[in-house]
Amino acid sequence: MEQKSVAITVTSGKGGVGKSTTVASVGLALAQLGRQVCVMDTDIGLRKLDLMLGLENRIVYDLIDVIEGTSKLRQSLVRHKEYPHLALLPAAQTRYKEEVTPAQIKQLVDELRNEFEFILIDSPAGIEGGFRNAIAPADRAILVVNPEIPSVRDSDRVIGLLESADLDQIDLVVNRVQPGMIKDGDMLSVERVQNHLAINLLGVVPEDRRIIRSSNTGEPVVLDDKSLAGRAFNHIGRRIHGEEVPFLEMEETSLINRIKRIFHIA
Amino acid sequence: MAFLNMFGKEKERPTAATADNRLSLVLSYQRSDIDERKLKQFQVRLIDLCDDFGYDVVGQVEIRPQSRQQDNTTVLNASIPVRLRGNSEDEESAGV
Repeated sequence: MEQKSVAITVTSGKGGVGKSTTVASVGLALAQLGRQVCVMDTDIGLRKLDLMLGLENRIVYDLIDVIEGTSKLRQSLVRHKEYPHLALLPAAQTRYKEEVTPAQIKQLVDELRNEFEFILIDSPAGIEGGFRNAIAPADRAILVVNPEIPSVRDSDRVIGLLESADLDQIDLVVNRVQPGMIKDGDMLSVERVQNHLAINLLGVVPEDRRIIRSSNTGEPVVLDDKSLAGRAFNHIGRRIHGEEVPFLEMEETSLINRIKRIFHIA
Repeated sequence: MAFLNMFGKEKERPTAATADNRLSLVLSYQRSDIDERKLKQFQVRLIDLCDDFGYDVVGQVEIRPQSRQQDNTTVLNASIPVRLRGNSEDEESAGV
């Protein structure tokens, strides 16, 4: 039987690399393409996706309420008002990761598959129980990595764990790339990161101050026309959707940046 | 003054290559589940093996894991300075 729904776990190992930003932005990009998308926060006790999507004031029930039978799945889903193809299944903020099991999360995702074409699962940092919950229902995984040693090492460890969980399709998103630093020889290039990890490159996202603005306002950066990172996330969504999209040209070309580089102050 | 310093500022040595080398090493250790204790045991066994084949180890044995990227495997490079035992015995018996 053809599988209509795809569950994608977005993970990293290391915290703070941009998992939730990726889930919110790529989820919205897919919804803009007309797909039915559910973004699911499995970071129980430390949820973030609601803030990234500006939905924090609309949460009544959460993932644990559904598992415990306090609410129905439909009641816990928060639909985006402007993009109704997108729904959030929030994590509980005052509970613990140990209160749910991988089997329960898998069952929940199986139920979501009836309604959604894409289920993006935001994994917590680390490789403990929360991570195991997040990967249990996944058909494929996206690994978000920053071009720095701790992030790449953790990601390599996560790849090993994903492979041992029989997850074969693992794609790489290199986030917070600074082309100027790469050019100066002070940041690992995307190519080197990909060589070390030896998995398929799905996207490259530049460092972008506008991401802070987007988390301030609760409007994912993918909605920001001026944001290069937003465009990169949009392209990732389109690649997941099956389109062939070229990688962004990220070289800094503004006069100010060139002057800064001449005097080594960039 | 800060403005003048800006012109005279020397460019620092790039660090990405260092990061790349360090990363290769830590990934090799991680992928092979290698630690210093295991390397030490391996070193002892190699010295024994040399002994079995009639070689004396005459210097520092070094085992260095390296990452081979084309197939994501680790290569253990062992450097073992040896001398054929027979030769040294001949030398000793000859009173050298």
